[in-house]
This record gives sequence, structure tokens and C-alpha cells, in this order.
Amino acid sequence: MMHIGQGLVCGDKIQDLIRSGFQFTIFLADYHSMINNKYGGDLGKIRTTGEYFQHCFTSLGIARERAEYIWASDLANRKEYWEKVLRVARTVSTQRVLRAIPIMGREMMAKDTEAAAIFYPCMQAADIFEMRLDVACAGIDQRKAHILAREAGEKLNWGKPVSLHTPILMGLHGIPEASIGNYDEDPKLNQVIAAKMSKSKPEDNILIHDEPEVIDRKIQRAFCPAGIVDGNPILEYFRILVFRENKPLRLERHPKYGGDVEIESYQQLEKSFTSGELHPKDLKANISRILSKRLAPVREYFRKHPRPLEEMRRIGSA
Amino acid sequence: MDPNERMELTTRGTVEVIQSVELKRLLEEKNDPRAYWGFECSGKKAQAFTE
Repeated sequence: MMHIGQGLVCGDKIQDLIRSGFQFTIFLADYHSMINNKYGGDLGKIRTTGEYFQHCFTSLGIARERAEYIWASDLANRKEYWEKVLRVARTVSTQRVLRAIPIMGREMMAKDTEAAAIFYPCMQAADIFEMRLDVACAGIDQRKAHILAREAGEKLNWGKPVSLHTPILMGLHGIPEASIGNYDEDPKLNQVIAAKMSKSKPEDNILIHDEPEVIDRKIQRAFCPAGIVDGNPILEYFRILVFRENKPLRLERHPKYGGDVEIESYQQLEKSFTSGELHPKDLKANISRILSKRLAPVREYFRKHPRPLEEMRRIGSA
Repeated sequence: MDPNERMELTTRGTVEVIQSVELKRLLEEKNDPRAYWGFECSGKKAQAFTE
């Protein structure tokens, strides 16, 4: 099921680009998912999920006619596409491609990496050139794929795609103590990817479908120690999801605890939290309320169109 | 919307742009440039390709 990382971080960014005039393609990477062994490589289930994603983005406010959906397998029907995959592959060493494997959420140099994985970064670069894109958007964990595409583009005289990278949302339990795994040479990015990959814990993230009481329960249990900023997912949700527009916010609070308070910026929120002026309960109650409200159109949409969600439940988790 | 406003809207909330100068030039040259976001189709929470 789609979580708020995809729904809100990606969804909002896509809407920003559409508003600034971009022709936007949402690429449903069915073949890539198969390579990455999603649903055991079952393309039927993978496509059911791709269909469901289209409904999710529509429910999040990206109207069908404002974005173009392209399936990877349709792109791969063109013979020129495979020529591009091969031409990209000729520009890089095997070693280099293997170092890019963490874009699949796999560890670098793992012994059980299938040969199919070699295709993945080369396809991801070829996708960009085949669709004649000017800009490639993704989470920061995808930077290796984009750097590879830019270098290949330069060598092949195909032009360099601009890359736009968004943050990866922390899980509700915060960054794990020791970031386990070998995903990137950069320790900070390694930790970010390790945190993303550790999302197997139950209730560690909010789904776009969650009812207000579920959001509330998950947020209540989230890691948010008083005055601590580092590794605090609640503060991070305020910074990334709420204050991305730099608009002031009215934080609601019971009169008993000082009443409502106007917050001008994320910096002010952080300062008030570190100084103890704002309590974790204040932040939790408000983020819970804000997210419930923002996701209301999604719940409404899927009440009217229950089918894609039922299909997702039927095929089970990948 | 002028190129500066489009630049602001396009880059807000990002952690990295490679490269800003190229994006700026692109927005000056084209009114409707092409962009994409790719998604692996998985119901699992942790996914590659994007988040």
C-alpha cells in the first residue's frame, strides 16, 4: 500500500512541476520491479499495483489528464529502447553498475545479486533518454542511477538530464541506532537508505489510506523525545510535509496548556520545541490532525472506487 | 509565471538538484520541458526506484 513518503513527498513535488509547466510522466516500472523480484517476479501482480498507483495519484490531486502514465514494458516494446540500454551499458564498467545496485534497495556487492540486476541501472538511464526527458525526479537514494545517466548521456552526446532529488521520510520510530547495511559509501546517505529499508516494522509509517484514528494511534506511538531534534520523525514531518510551502501555521493547543500558537516557520517550531515551550504532545496532536485532513480526499476517493484497493488486498504484499 | 517563480516551485522541498544552473537554463529556454518520476510497482513498504 502507498505510504505518505510516496503519496505526499512525491505527489506534492509532481504537482509543483506540473504547475510550473512541465509535461509530467509517471513511469510505472513493471519490468524493473520484476528484475527486483517484487511479488516473486509475477508481472500480473506487479501491474495490478501499477494500476492501483494511478488511482492513488489521482486521489492525491494529480488529475489523469495532467500526467502521462507510461509502463516500462511498453517502452521496452520499441527496438530503439534496447539499443539505448546497450549503448548506455557500453559506457560503464561492470564494477560501476554493481556499485549502483543500492538504487534497488539491495546492498552493494551482495553475493546473491542476480545477473538481471546488471540491466537495472542501464535500463533506468535508457528510460530517461528514450522518453526524451529533461528532468528526472526521485528520492535521494536514486542519485547513483541519475549520475550514471548523466555521464552516459554526456559520453553518447544525448545530453545530461537534470536530476531533482527529494528527501526520504524517516519511519515513525526514527533512525535505527546503528545503520546496518552497505548501501552507499557516504555514511549519511547509507543511514538514510538503511532507515528506508528498515520499514518492515509494523506501523512504522503512515499509509495514505489510514483513517484518522489509525493515524492518531501511529503518531502517538512515534519516537518524539522532548527537546530532541536529531532522528525525530515528527519534527521531520513538519519540516518536509508541512513547512515546504513556508506558510505560517496555527498550532492548536488546549487553553489549559497555553492555547493556540502561531508558528511562522519550521525554524521557529524547532526552537520552541528545543526550548521546551512546545511539548511532544502538542506536535503529535497537530501533525495527526494535519495529516488526517490532507488525506481525507484519498479516503473519499477510495470509498467511491474501492476496487483497486480490494485488488491490492487480494494479491497480498510483495 | 516567470522563470524565477518556476525555479522556486520546481526546487522547493528538494535536497539536491544536479545542476541548478542547468535547470535554470532549461526553464528559460522551454515553457513545457519534460520530466518524470519512476515507480517500482510493489505493495511492500520499502521500495527501490523511488519514494
